[in-house]
Amino acid sequence: MINPPKWPERVLSRFCRPDLADEIIGDLHEAFMWRAETEGERKARRKYVLEAIGSLKPSNLKSIYQLRLNNMIFTNYLKIAFRNLQKRKTFSAINIFGLASGVAAFILISLYAFQILMHDSFFENKDQIYLAYKERITPDGTQPTYDTWVPMRNKLVETYPEITNGTKTFAAEAKVVKGSQFINEELLYTDEHFFEVFNFKLLHGSASKPFQDKSSVILSKELALKHFGKENALGEELELYLPEEDTTKRYLVSGVIDDYPANISIRPQMVLQMSSIPAYPDFVNNWGSSFIETFIVSRSNPEELEAAFPDLVESLWDKEARNNTNFKLLPYSEYYNTFLGDQSTASTLLYIGLGILLIAIINFMNLSTAHASQRSKEIGLRKVLGAYQGQLKTQFMAEATVMSTIATLIGVTIVLITLPYFNHLFDVAISIDLLGWTPFAGGIAVLIVLLAVLSGSYPAFYLSSIRVLDVLKQRLSFGKSANLRNVLVIVQFTIAVILISATLLVKNQIMYMSDKNMGFDSEETLIISASARDFTNREEGITRLNTFKNELKNKSYIKDLSISRSVPTEWSRSFTFVKPDGWNGNPLRMSYTYVDANFLDTYGITLKSGNSFLADSEGDQRTSVILNEAAMKAFEFETDANNVIKIGDHRINVIGIVEDFHFESLQNKIEPTLIFHRTAQHPVHRFISCKIDMTNIDSELSEIADMWSELGATTNFNYTFLDDRIKQLYESEARFLGLISLFSVISIIIACMGLYGLTLFIIQKRQKELSIRKVLGAEISGLLQLIFKEFALWIGAAFIIGVPLVVYFINQWVSDFYYQSEFSWFTIVETLIIMCALVILTVGYQSLKATKANPVNYLKDE
Amino acid sequence: MNLQLGTLEEMILIILLMKEETYGVDIAKEYQKQLNQSISLPAIHVVLKRLENKGLVNSKMGEPTAERGGRRKRIYTATNKGFEAARDLQQKRTEMWKVIPKFNFSA
Repeated sequence: MINPPKWPERVLSRFCRPDLADEIIGDLHEAFMWRAETEGERKARRKYVLEAIGSLKPSNLKSIYQLRLNNMIFTNYLKIAFRNLQKRKTFSAINIFGLASGVAAFILISLYAFQILMHDSFFENKDQIYLAYKERITPDGTQPTYDTWVPMRNKLVETYPEITNGTKTFAAEAKVVKGSQFINEELLYTDEHFFEVFNFKLLHGSASKPFQDKSSVILSKELALKHFGKENALGEELELYLPEEDTTKRYLVSGVIDDYPANISIRPQMVLQMSSIPAYPDFVNNWGSSFIETFIVSRSNPEELEAAFPDLVESLWDKEARNNTNFKLLPYSEYYNTFLGDQSTASTLLYIGLGILLIAIINFMNLSTAHASQRSKEIGLRKVLGAYQGQLKTQFMAEATVMSTIATLIGVTIVLITLPYFNHLFDVAISIDLLGWTPFAGGIAVLIVLLAVLSGSYPAFYLSSIRVLDVLKQRLSFGKSANLRNVLVIVQFTIAVILISATLLVKNQIMYMSDKNMGFDSEETLIISASARDFTNREEGITRLNTFKNELKNKSYIKDLSISRSVPTEWSRSFTFVKPDGWNGNPLRMSYTYVDANFLDTYGITLKSGNSFLADSEGDQRTSVILNEAAMKAFEFETDANNVIKIGDHRINVIGIVEDFHFESLQNKIEPTLIFHRTAQHPVHRFISCKIDMTNIDSELSEIADMWSELGATTNFNYTFLDDRIKQLYESEARFLGLISLFSVISIIIACMGLYGLTLFIIQKRQKELSIRKVLGAEISGLLQLIFKEFALWIGAAFIIGVPLVVYFINQWVSDFYYQSEFSWFTIVETLIIMCALVILTVGYQSLKATKANPVNYLKDE
Repeated sequence: MNLQLGTLEEMILIILLMKEETYGVDIAKEYQKQLNQSISLPAIHVVLKRLENKGLVNSKMGEPTAERGGRRKRIYTATNKGFEAARDLQQKRTEMWKVIPKFNFSA
């Protein structure tokens, strides 16, 4: 026999009025049976659930008294709690909304931080995976390089029994060929062990034998849906053009990877077997060229393995190699921090989140204790009627729980509503799905309890300890609580000071970096990605690109043009070993790139001495180099002229020296670099840089785009502006600034709300005093001084505590940057002005009203 | 008599008058049979409560049955007042119908 689902009945019998429950539940049950017969079980079930939910109307529900809280006194607490909420509307609103926005900010930050701090936790054996890399030992220290050799994986697994498995990867790109269309996709070359090391789930295909043969391709679910419109693409054919191999081949799908979370570092979209590369056999035993990443799985301690590696190095090469090279293991948990981002910003944000929450909790504590005087009669009466202190504590905890529950629920609602905007604003992808809804709900429950305990415990202990006689004799002094209140307000102010000045200082550094003279002219520079690799036929591609370049040159709006391998902001990742002629020491590892003869002119890079390359000079290409000043220093050249460097045995003349320019983010020091010449027709180049007249940029761009589309390239017209690229360098810093600005503002608003509530209370208490002073002849300005003296003390204390903390924090943060803005004390002054303005705005109106009031109104009841 | 009755209220009241004694699911079945249209139980319950408040129906608890999961029924019967209200409404309507000029629709 079919039965309806159980849970709706349980919910209904818990919450429905007992006199209605039988009718409602019985009817639903009977209707389910009837519908199951006539309309089918599924429909019946759906209607059953919907109608059960529909039956939860307020009129059908038990009232709050009947909710099996058979402890009568407890219902009384709740009643009083709600009455108090209603009676003191301003206070309740400040309390609840302050707490709610604090909670919302805290949840948002936690979700964001969680996503970053839990990066890669998707991989079950994360703690056992290591990236094997090599380290070059030089007298000045060690230089890590993370690319390794093809045979590395097998060698490690065979040599060390502790290493149980391993895999190698190589990222590239592929173009899916669909008729005359080419669609760019990220490609990962790897081996058959990949899915054993990284526990991606294969929806189709086998993890132990993922590739059938050399023409097998594995797709992510996303790509399977994109190219075949279905998830099960097993056996489907995909035509790929592979620029690395310069071939077009047909592949059969042999596996589909299930969706994986957003916060993992390795994101396979399209996977090919490395051994399917035609040139692969040349690399199988090649310990010369290193270009892949090697991951291993090891159960043992990495230090033990690293200690054994020098022997391996010596057996692979020779004694000399042992002295200058070592193998190292990078724990996979450090992968994100090494290559992709910085988890420490997430921790910083988490502290900010806690700070905001603390401000909100302090509001609650302060307002509750401040209000004690008004409730002292109630407390006294309860005591006279025989309430124990414990019962009173329970009462205040119950009130705090009511508040924190309401506030947290509002906070969660705010988060749910604002999450999409937050994601959009900061270009992040936070979702609750990543955490899972059950843990999320659990976290919220914990938060409610925590908030209740934190915000309720002090009022509970303080208020319940009031002595009856004091209350009844109206002899209550709040001296002690006022002290604590001062401390709490100072804590709030300190957090506000830290956040405001930190925001200003972070902004300083970012402004400094984006405004600093980069050493080249970044205005009006259009950069077009254009490479021979964008064409299926390279020879043809070069000719066409040359035509394209000449056409561009003839346009009146192009003032200057250069073609190069790298551009500032995206400089070379290729390195070579080089030393000055006549050096006995080890060669230096230095980055190098290729430019055409027009590069320095186009970018306005200043030649310090010597000459630029000669256009179309073949001789230049083999025997000339231009250095930057950093390279000059590294080579320890004493004069500017007639220097010679050697790469291997090849001698190269230094024909010119350029002033240092920032080809990378100002986070990094300007490194030595070698600039070689290749004529514009050479296939190494990847960018065309144009000085362009920006007056009609839209029509100019569309004209260039049209010209590009006539070339028949496999890529779309792809362009950027240099100043945008520079901005992009500081994207993560700008995001950090955005986040802390937003949360500073929120925290300040919450703190101001608390301050406002507190002022209301203080003024209420002191109204009589102010009135008497006025009667005795005090000036309004004198009275205002009296009130503001206290706030001035608080701000002063907050600065004394906050400024050293902020200086410490900002020094930490700025130490990541090689080029630092100077610490500006002006920002501290700015902070002071902002704080004072905020306090005056929050407190001013109330104070003015109080001091201007007619004293008679407040004195007549004596 | 001056009692406001909604269409659904009237329908259910008439169903109650048709059957001497009835309850929620039975009404739903009858409603569906007569009007060829399904109706949700919470809607019926609300209407019954309203009719009861207006004094047009009475209710008493019945015996539990197995098909109701061991729950008791609430059995409703229409009161005299209910009968009168439905009848008055019907009479009023018949009178009004008579006034509608027929030729307008014969063409």
